[in-house]
Amino acid sequence: MAPILQVKNLSKAYGGLIAVNDVSFEVERGEILSVIGPNGAGKSTIFKLISSFVKPTRGEVLFEGERISGLAPHIVARKGVVRTFQETTIFKGLTARDSVVVAHHLRSRANLIDYYLNTAAARRDEDEFGRSSDEILEFLGLGEVKNEIAGNLPQGHLRALGIAIGLAANPKVLLLDEPFAGMNHDETRRAIEMTRAVRERGVTLLLVEHDIAAVMRISDRIAVINFGSKIAEGKPAEIQSNDKVIEAYLGVEDESIGI
Amino acid sequence: MEQVIVNGLYLGAQYALIALGLTLIFALMNVLNFAHGQMYVIGGFLVYEIYGRMHWPFVVALFAAAATLAVIGGLLERFLFRTVIRRSLREESTMLLAAGVAYFLDAAILLLFGEKQHGVPKIVRGVFVSDNLIIPYDRVLVACLAILFIVAFVLMMQFTKPGRAMRAMAQDRVAAQLMGVPVEFYSLVGFALGAMLAGLVGGLLVTITGVNSGIGGPISIKAFTMVMIGGAGVVGGAILGGFILGMLESVGLSVLHSYGDITYLAIFVSLLIFLSIRPNGLMGKPWG
Amino acid sequence: MRPTAQALFAAVFAFVLLVIVPWAIRVTHHDDFYYTLSSVALLAIASGGVWLTFYIGRINIGQGAYALIGGYASAIFVVKAGLSFWIAMPLAGVVCALVSVAIGLPILRLRGVYFAMVTLVLTEVARLSALALPITNGAMGITEIPPPGPLGLFGFNLLPSFASFANRNQAFYFLCVVMMMLCFAALYRLVNSRVGRLFAALRQNEDLASSMGLNVPALRVLAYAISSFLGGVGGAIFAAIAQSVYPSSFTVADSINFMLNCFLGGLGYVFGPMLGTLVLYFGWDLLFQAGQYQLLIYSGVMIILMLVLPNGLLSLRFSRKKGA
Repeated sequence: MAPILQVKNLSKAYGGLIAVNDVSFEVERGEILSVIGPNGAGKSTIFKLISSFVKPTRGEVLFEGERISGLAPHIVARKGVVRTFQETTIFKGLTARDSVVVAHHLRSRANLIDYYLNTAAARRDEDEFGRSSDEILEFLGLGEVKNEIAGNLPQGHLRALGIAIGLAANPKVLLLDEPFAGMNHDETRRAIEMTRAVRERGVTLLLVEHDIAAVMRISDRIAVINFGSKIAEGKPAEIQSNDKVIEAYLGVEDESIGI
Repeated sequence: MEQVIVNGLYLGAQYALIALGLTLIFALMNVLNFAHGQMYVIGGFLVYEIYGRMHWPFVVALFAAAATLAVIGGLLERFLFRTVIRRSLREESTMLLAAGVAYFLDAAILLLFGEKQHGVPKIVRGVFVSDNLIIPYDRVLVACLAILFIVAFVLMMQFTKPGRAMRAMAQDRVAAQLMGVPVEFYSLVGFALGAMLAGLVGGLLVTITGVNSGIGGPISIKAFTMVMIGGAGVVGGAILGGFILGMLESVGLSVLHSYGDITYLAIFVSLLIFLSIRPNGLMGKPWG
Repeated sequence: MRPTAQALFAAVFAFVLLVIVPWAIRVTHHDDFYYTLSSVALLAIASGGVWLTFYIGRINIGQGAYALIGGYASAIFVVKAGLSFWIAMPLAGVVCALVSVAIGLPILRLRGVYFAMVTLVLTEVARLSALALPITNGAMGITEIPPPGPLGLFGFNLLPSFASFANRNQAFYFLCVVMMMLCFAALYRLVNSRVGRLFAALRQNEDLASSMGLNVPALRVLAYAISSFLGGVGGAIFAAIAQSVYPSSFTVADSINFMLNCFLGGLGYVFGPMLGTLVLYFGWDLLFQAGQYQLLIYSGVMIILMLVLPNGLLSLRFSRKKGA
């Protein structure tokens, strides 16, 4: 089967500064692929390029064979490529459940006028979204805190809420932005389990991550970026023994490689 | 043609100084100071009282105006803005406060100085005349003083300790605080400095155009316009925006003269179009 | 609030405005109150619009522009095109909504103080345009606008011509109050529907909202268009009451006041703008006795209110409730 996501010769320059240089890789349906690299390597630019929050200077991103780069972010999300944000960017003022219900917007069949008049179609949507939200929140272990204001939740719950909001949009590919950043050992273990469970739901996952140890445990394949270019791609074991990767990481910080 | 350019430069120097004060307060505290124009008017009236009516030297009057405004600015920051920023759930609340302060100062100005237009004796007499250029000497002097103040301000921001601290705060208030910058103190200093700049320009321009109690609001709008052109919260942007607006106004008044009073309409409409292409102005940073 | 409580509250509110207030005015012979209260109602409608832009996270100091456009549009429709006021009024709202879509598409990309400054300039643009354009008749404005004619629907005569009323101020009062209740009921429904929740999501985080598939630019413009529609309707009725409209009918000061009404009432509450407008307008009127100190006291009180209640008047009630 064709890859679900193809990144082809992607480049992005800010002024004279080249953040991403001719990067290509493919994501197979149902796999977990991680993009890693030292700080400032261009990972987050790649992330923004795929979710179309930033337009590429050259190259393109294809989803199910169709070009998605250059489209508005909400269109890309509608097609099934949904990104999450780090915990600082959630709907702070809404309850956890309301955030997830709002995130179901993509699935709605009723239009805004239906919502305004609260027609049968709108109520049907609303009931369905409520049920689905409860299910997702339960699935990610947020059932207990679903009526809390999101801004008051602790870190670990916020990460899960971010993923819950992403899942609500019914993604085919879910892009996770540094899902393990700033987590301790236990939290990381739980986040890994959560990520695997999401994959079991049939969602393809693309991670952008700094924490190599976690990535090694969870990924099917890994692409390594340094100075904006891809320097390696392969299974975790191959990456682990790749000289270029070790050099790139050792050059920056020693402890990260402690696998 | 030369006349238009010279007029533009003269206006631009004043405007840049006005915009600097506004942008400084905005950069440091994220407060849009609606009362900036009123501060300008107070500066004008103080110079009128001291130099125009009490006949003290102009320099003394200008200095007194600057010092008074600095004190007013400092008091406003310490007792009003600081409190509201701390207590409010939304940062927009400072805009309400600033609007309230603008109204209050407007009322106070009206009560203290009346509604008549006032002028002062010229600080230097004489007019420079050549083939296609007529400039009164007092305008030359005022423009030079304005440019001097701008240069002094920029040097202060670049090379002194308070200047560096304030620049750090404008970049990232939290980070600056972590680095040990006393942000509350420098908010006060910045606000006082911003108010002082407004008072300085008011004091300078009263010698040319006079002053009346109703021009505070329009001056504020001009200041907003300049800051939008150049980019909010950026020193270079404020200076650039000031000179651009001065030039536009000068060109507009001479070119569009025959169509009636549409210079400002044309400027505002082009500003809207410009901002829809470059939302952050010429030098502004992206907004988040 | 439960639906029955809501309906009860609305009924009491309508009863007070439509029966008690007119009765009180008749008993006390304060006929001028009709005009004052009509103005409050219209300003509240326009402020309600501003409130909605706040709701999506934009500081709107440009509502004066739309009130002015609405006033001129309805005046032109009535005087130059001979349309009935009852058609001209909603049409003026639509004109404003359309203008706001054209302007909003680019400028709604701006945030924070930037958006606020641009909207402030917008009010000046409207005023200067009214001065410069031929159709608005320059500084002379449009005067002698006839009062609203009869209102008919499907051959039924719902209302006779306003010219036939003995007490025209009273007729306008009923018009304004009914319009205000309609507008705020619509606004209340909007905010409490799912559309409102989408707007709230926008205010909280536009990037996240768009990553969930929300068409953020379109929703923003929708909210802004509704807001401007309300501004236009308010301006249109204002022109009808005053029977005239000038470039200075709505200025930057009005735009700022609309914003203040929202702030004072409290940005978290739909009915905040109504309360804020009432308090500010009456506060201003009462201070008339203070003569030359009017503005000084008014702004002084405003500053003190900001210090004591930085989150609006209605926050008082709500925080007490929380404490109890």
